[in-house]
Amino acid sequence: MVREDFICLTPLMIIAGAPVLMMLVVAVIRSYKVIYGLSLSGFILAFLSIFFLLPVIPHATGQLFIFDGFTILFFVIIILACLLITILSDGYLVYQESEKEEYFIILYTSALGALVLAAASNFVTLFLGLEMLSISLYVLIAYRRSRDNSIEAAVKYLILASGASGFLLFGMGLIYVDTGSLEFTKIVMALQSSGFSSPLLLTGFSMMVVGIGFKLALVPFHMWTPDVYHGAPVPVATFIATVSKGAVIAVLLRFFYAIEGFRNHNFILLITVVSILSMFIGNLLAIRQQNLKRILAYSSISNMGYLVITLLIGTKGGIDAAVFYIASYIITTIGAFGVITLLSDRDNEAEKLKSYTGLFWKRPWVAIVLTLTMLSLAGIPITSGFLAKFYVILEGLNAGLLVLVISLIINSVIGLYYYLRVVTILFSPPNDVKFPAISPAGRLVLFIVTLGILWLGIFPEWFFNLIARF
Amino acid sequence: MTAILALIVIFPLLGFLILSVFGGRLPRHIIPWIGAGSAGISALLTIILGISFLTSSSPGGVVVATLWQWINTGGLTASIALRLDALSLVFIFVITFIGFLIHVYSVEFMADDEGYSRFFSYMNLFVFSMLILVLADNLLLLYLGWEGVGLCSYLLIGFWYREPANGYAARKAFIITRIGDTAMIIGLFLLFLHLHTLNINELMQQATLNWEPGSSLATWAALLLLGGALGKSAQLPLQTWLPDAMAGPSPVSALIHAATMVTAGVYLIARTHVLFSLAPAVQATVAVIGALTLLLAGFSALTQHDLKRALAYSTVSQIGYMFLALGVGAWSAGIFHFMVHAFFKALLFLAAGVIIVVLNEEHDIFKMGGLRKKIPGVFWTFLIGAASLAALPLVTAGFYSKDQILWYAWSAGNGGPWLWLAGITGAFLTSLYTFRLVFIVFFGKTGTEPTKLPGRFMVIPMVILAAFSLVAGFIELPHSMGHLQLFSGFMSAVLPGVVMANETIPELLFQAVATVISLAGICLAYLIYLKRPALADAINHSRISRFFCDGWGFDRVYDTLFVKPIVWLAEIDKNDFTDIFNTAIASVVIIFNRALNLTQNGKLRWYVMGLALGIVFILSILMNL
Repeated sequence: MVREDFICLTPLMIIAGAPVLMMLVVAVIRSYKVIYGLSLSGFILAFLSIFFLLPVIPHATGQLFIFDGFTILFFVIIILACLLITILSDGYLVYQESEKEEYFIILYTSALGALVLAAASNFVTLFLGLEMLSISLYVLIAYRRSRDNSIEAAVKYLILASGASGFLLFGMGLIYVDTGSLEFTKIVMALQSSGFSSPLLLTGFSMMVVGIGFKLALVPFHMWTPDVYHGAPVPVATFIATVSKGAVIAVLLRFFYAIEGFRNHNFILLITVVSILSMFIGNLLAIRQQNLKRILAYSSISNMGYLVITLLIGTKGGIDAAVFYIASYIITTIGAFGVITLLSDRDNEAEKLKSYTGLFWKRPWVAIVLTLTMLSLAGIPITSGFLAKFYVILEGLNAGLLVLVISLIINSVIGLYYYLRVVTILFSPPNDVKFPAISPAGRLVLFIVTLGILWLGIFPEWFFNLIARF
Repeated sequence: MTAILALIVIFPLLGFLILSVFGGRLPRHIIPWIGAGSAGISALLTIILGISFLTSSSPGGVVVATLWQWINTGGLTASIALRLDALSLVFIFVITFIGFLIHVYSVEFMADDEGYSRFFSYMNLFVFSMLILVLADNLLLLYLGWEGVGLCSYLLIGFWYREPANGYAARKAFIITRIGDTAMIIGLFLLFLHLHTLNINELMQQATLNWEPGSSLATWAALLLLGGALGKSAQLPLQTWLPDAMAGPSPVSALIHAATMVTAGVYLIARTHVLFSLAPAVQATVAVIGALTLLLAGFSALTQHDLKRALAYSTVSQIGYMFLALGVGAWSAGIFHFMVHAFFKALLFLAAGVIIVVLNEEHDIFKMGGLRKKIPGVFWTFLIGAASLAALPLVTAGFYSKDQILWYAWSAGNGGPWLWLAGITGAFLTSLYTFRLVFIVFFGKTGTEPTKLPGRFMVIPMVILAAFSLVAGFIELPHSMGHLQLFSGFMSAVLPGVVMANETIPELLFQAVATVISLAGICLAYLIYLKRPALADAINHSRISRFFCDGWGFDRVYDTLFVKPIVWLAEIDKNDFTDIFNTAIASVVIIFNRALNLTQNGKLRWYVMGLALGIVFILSILMNL
């Protein structure tokens, strides 16, 4: 192991080492405060360690990991998102009676999975990362097992995700049989000589699409999303919507751009159909939904539909648009789920749209944050969501993806309906639902999210300059 | 000076912002300090600015404060730039000074209203918009102020929105002025299309260079701008909204619907007088419209039962005088009458507001009477305002301003005997209807008993306005008496002098006639309304009187000609193609939503089947099956 390998693996090792340490601590003293402090500092430490990577990238460690600017970007996004989710979880776990400490340990293993995915350059790491992520999530989803839907959601996710993983693994095997390698670079070389013609290879890719599509909740593998979001504790739903999807998008972008799938007309057709279906079905399902968590679930389906458009763009601009989109989506979604988390109390999660009636008149700042996230999801100017859509549309038009762009625009209009419906409810005459007070840490999260949404929405060039440096 | 100019505009805006954001949370006693205070600071700054403007080395000069570039695209540049010259100085003085007095009056008048801070925030917004209107150095910014005052007018007419009639009056005012505004914005497009600028100064220069007098483009441009002016200033044929606008609180009637906003049309024409000079036909139209309106509204004012409506028709009629003056080319006389009118009409409305309040919301003058003894302060101030309105000779400001208009109506180059005749008839009507109000309300049998007396916040502004209604005329004395021309001399830097006809009759003769006419009107009012109540009663019940009272039936005609057909068309057009299309989109979305909801049934076996079908679907696409 050379020195560069060691430096590059530092964030992964910190994230992997932290839960070990936490387990040891839990064995000695069960102190929630200590574990919470450890998990906060672990993520902060991991984030700081990224700066040491900057001088040595790009660097590949063995055949398994690749550390380049793209990896770093996703590392930053994932770790920051995890940090915010940790703070949100703290406010939420107050209502958990016992065994609070292990939550963070499992959160760490799932974060490790996400990081591994973002750095994966090999089917082995891809699968390992994905499984680490999934298996941790089975537990996290069921973490508040006394709640009604928790176990149900976890079991659904377990069965469906293991099925999808099976497909993924089978697909990898088929591709290995055809190309003789598990490494992205070698697969690419093999494809360059033989092309996409072999049925074995195509079957392999199809099966991988199931695994990836399931994680991203793309149609037709989307059905689990609302049930799982609904049943999972809110911070966990936040994690599924943001970190888990971001990591999978990272590896998907890397692999798809490496094999240049956007040149193959079968892939173009597949992604076009999947994207359009995801947009329409996600939005149409959300339109009369009365549960805010389910609205966000359906919204995530359509947002992933928008996002996969960038796969077909096939330029550096396409990747930039995708990174900007996922960054904007993650910060916005953390904001929306964050509000739900912070307004939930012991017995009820603040998920019913009706309970938000007139929130503005009772809790103006919280309502403004929620309004801002809704406007960002709807793509209204001065929010990041507007520019995210704008760049996808711009790059999409440059790449000649007219059908997809038109479909995106139509769907933005449909989406506007249910996002604005939430906003109108916030500003209606108030009801008598009481929400708990929000801790200073929770306020900090909402403040950061607000700042992020507006910052990306007003000074996007800052973000693009940052991307350009990698 | 540019800094002061900017601050004058900024303070009312600040007041509006503070009151609209924090209004609900501020303690009640703070609100008037912000609402009236911001207007007060503006008034103070205006006086400082006015003194330094008058004493500066070039009194005819211009101060321009460019705050920032607003629009710069496709050849259109518009800056947020304020331009102060003699004309706008007169206007901002009236707006801020009278505006401040009315704000002070409102502190007490609105004291018990639940919408206290809302009222002051609207009023401040109005002052801000009106200042933008008269200080804008380009027509686009002027239009912004123009729409701003229209909005405030709407908001304040409908201020007591729980009464549906008030909302209706507000909508009526908004829609009818909208007709004029539309003409005006088309006029702006036309000007920009042909002269490639909207900066007022450049525009006037370009117009003189490019357009022949009487050319069709100049005529169209002037006509379209006139459309805007007619709507805002409630002149024929768009005058019907103003009497209904009296639904708003009395301070609103005084500030917006007497002193300032309704004279925006006068300002617009004076500001673009070059354009109107290039279109003699349109300018003549302005004079004719002014003459007709002043007569028409004069007759209507004569027959009203509602105190405020009578004053409203009087306002329409007096603005008719201003239009008449502008139409015959007596620009500065029109502006002079605007200023004097602002003083006495604001005063009359404030006094009317007091009367209505102390009589417990009694509007009907025939239920009033004998108030002279009960509220003497209001009586004397009202009397001064009325005397000024009736142009009582020598002692009132109204005499000097109206006399000037009447003289020019005959002897200016564009004037003539007919216009003068209309003006002098109007003068007779004015003194008749004004003193009709005085005699009915303050003399005779005691009607409704006053329940309270006005406090000092209401009385002091009225006294100040009364003083100005008397002395404001002395800054401009006719040729025949003293020949003092402070006002028109001041205006000459901006507005050209009057072109006189070749032969003129001595002005003194006109003054004699006007004096006789004015006094005759008062005497007739005395005879009819005080000495012969039976006759007054008979007049009240005559059909012609009712016809005048309804504003010559304009509302009915417009209702039949425009409102009913449009409502009818909208009614039968409810289910046309676009509507069906729109509802169809909604229904299709709902159908899809219902269908898709069936797939989200929560059953795991169904989801697994979805997964399985999904792989078939993916395979079939990727393998080109």
